[in-house]
Amino acid sequence: MRDATYSPSPDPIGPPRDRMERTGPILVAVDGRASPVPPDDVRRLEGSLRLRFPGREAVVMVAGWEGPGVALRAPGTAGDAPPPGRPPPPTLTGGGIPGPESTMGALLREMDRRGAAAAALLSGDVRDATRDWLGALLAPLLDEGFDYACPAYLRHKAEATLNTGVVYPLTRALYGWRLRQPLGGEAALSLPLARKLLSDPDWRRDPAQAGSDAWVVAKVLTGAARACQSWLGAWPGASGPREDASLALGRVLGLVFREAERHAERWQRVEGSRPVVTFGAPGALDGEVPRVSVDRLVATFQLGQRELGAVWGLVLPPASLLALSRAAALPAASFRLDDVLWARIVYDFAVAHYTRVVERRQLLRSLTPLYLGWVASFLNEAGALGAGAAEERVEALCTAFEREKRYLISRWRWPDTFNP
Amino acid sequence: MWEDTKRTFVESSERIVRAIARLMPTLLAMVLILLVAAVAAGAARLLVRRVCLRLDLDRRLREWGVALPAAEGRREPSEAISRLAGWGVLALGFVLGLGTIEATATSVLAMRMLEYLPHVVVALLILAAGITGSRALERSVLIGAVSMGIQSARLLGLGTRWLVVTVAVAMALEHLGVGGTMLPVAFGILFGGIVLALALAVGLGARDVVARSLERRFQEPAERGEAPAATDDLKHL
Repeated sequence: MRDATYSPSPDPIGPPRDRMERTGPILVAVDGRASPVPPDDVRRLEGSLRLRFPGREAVVMVAGWEGPGVALRAPGTAGDAPPPGRPPPPTLTGGGIPGPESTMGALLREMDRRGAAAAALLSGDVRDATRDWLGALLAPLLDEGFDYACPAYLRHKAEATLNTGVVYPLTRALYGWRLRQPLGGEAALSLPLARKLLSDPDWRRDPAQAGSDAWVVAKVLTGAARACQSWLGAWPGASGPREDASLALGRVLGLVFREAERHAERWQRVEGSRPVVTFGAPGALDGEVPRVSVDRLVATFQLGQRELGAVWGLVLPPASLLALSRAAALPAASFRLDDVLWARIVYDFAVAHYTRVVERRQLLRSLTPLYLGWVASFLNEAGALGAGAAEERVEALCTAFEREKRYLISRWRWPDTFNP
Repeated sequence: MWEDTKRTFVESSERIVRAIARLMPTLLAMVLILLVAAVAAGAARLLVRRVCLRLDLDRRLREWGVALPAAEGRREPSEAISRLAGWGVLALGFVLGLGTIEATATSVLAMRMLEYLPHVVVALLILAAGITGSRALERSVLIGAVSMGIQSARLLGLGTRWLVVTVAVAMALEHLGVGGTMLPVAFGILFGGIVLALALAVGLGARDVVARSLERRFQEPAERGEAPAATDDLKHL
């Protein structure tokens, strides 16, 4: 369920903005790439916007395929069929959406054309109409002068493990801002930020990456835009198919590592991290633990340790390999991966992605057994903890990532000092 | 008698000198061709090395797992390729040089070698592509199989590699005309035998396993009276 209370925290990013560009309409784009958005949902959304923001024009459009790319259409207008041979697009809430499949470019152009004061990109999942979730997402932009609002949802500790174990700690350590759920295609932006992003030369230089959610987040966190995060209640749930770990890793981490490479000069000067202005009540969900076989996760880790040693040896230093071989000898019930070891593994893979010691897709897929091993270790430790205690555990992991950042910097600057 | 011996000796010497004088231009031409070929070989080696460096071939081959990581004393792939190109040009020059010799048999041999040369080049290219592709595929299959939790991942990877290498060797030998029709027939028998053996093994030996696996795939857990597979609830995103 969504929460409508605001609790601004001190220390925002960037200088305050003037409000001259914040009097235009509100534009909301709903993701209709995977499945059509019912017109009733669109009308309900428009009504909610007008009710919540009286005096402002509200426009809701639907994102759909147009040829090989994505375009915004008026509700009820039939779009093209998905390009033949293309697999189902990743869900917006899941994130890790590459540039060509992203709706962000179309949204930014439409926003600029209309002079919209704020725009939001949302998934087509069913939401609780009794909650003011739209207000929680857009009010920081329209009333508080922020440029970017990152949605965050209440989730169970055993969900979104890729974000918990890799993307959040890595993004926080690199860019120095504690955006709890940086991964996700949903976002809300202001017109000044939209115009700045539209004029970025990456649309021409790197079209495969520009417009992806990782690209937007990195640009915001390394720029002067005022960013915040809005807790919108319980996660509405992905409407797409569950994704294999290997595919998810390859897709998501490829984008995140690529952004780390793009902003290397910037993040090497960042130390520690600071909280981001937060609206809504943060937290996690308690309740029924999702059924996960730790034995199977550990078995995959042990299989990887046995068979992928040659590949891991090109990426990881001998000390890490030794630690992994010791971990593989542990029984599943007491399986543990140290936070420092895990942080160094992620950093080593980031460096390997940058230096291309192994073909990038193969590299990211070879991380799968290690990632599943970390998930098993995390579930063993946090499984018995409550939501609050589990979040503290995640905080400890993030601290380890921040402490080991020097290791990343030295490996990044001098990759040849480690020569397997 | 002494006069006859002297006359015979002089005439023989004159014949030998005349024969050498007839051969000298040919030998000189051959030495000249070999010198030009040596220079051309050096230039070809430099050119190929520059092209390989420009294409960053060594790094790409290491990236795909075809070449081993760089190490002291270990020759780079581009160095090996450029040396091969150099020796190839030198060998071509030698064959051309043979053609200057007027002896019919030698000229015919040189011509036949020149005609065979393109086949050798194409066969080498097929072999190189096969070996390169096999290593890259082996690593891909290994990583993919491990990610899926398949215990025989290494066997799958090795099998893929040797399959690709076998096909490449067969294609190269056929291009060289080695073995005639015997090679394709032998290859067909080998492949057909492997496929038949696998079909029999799966159809007879693993019949129950396949049936159970298909049942699990197409039936809902509730129909089987089981709880869902435990990893189904793990949401990575």
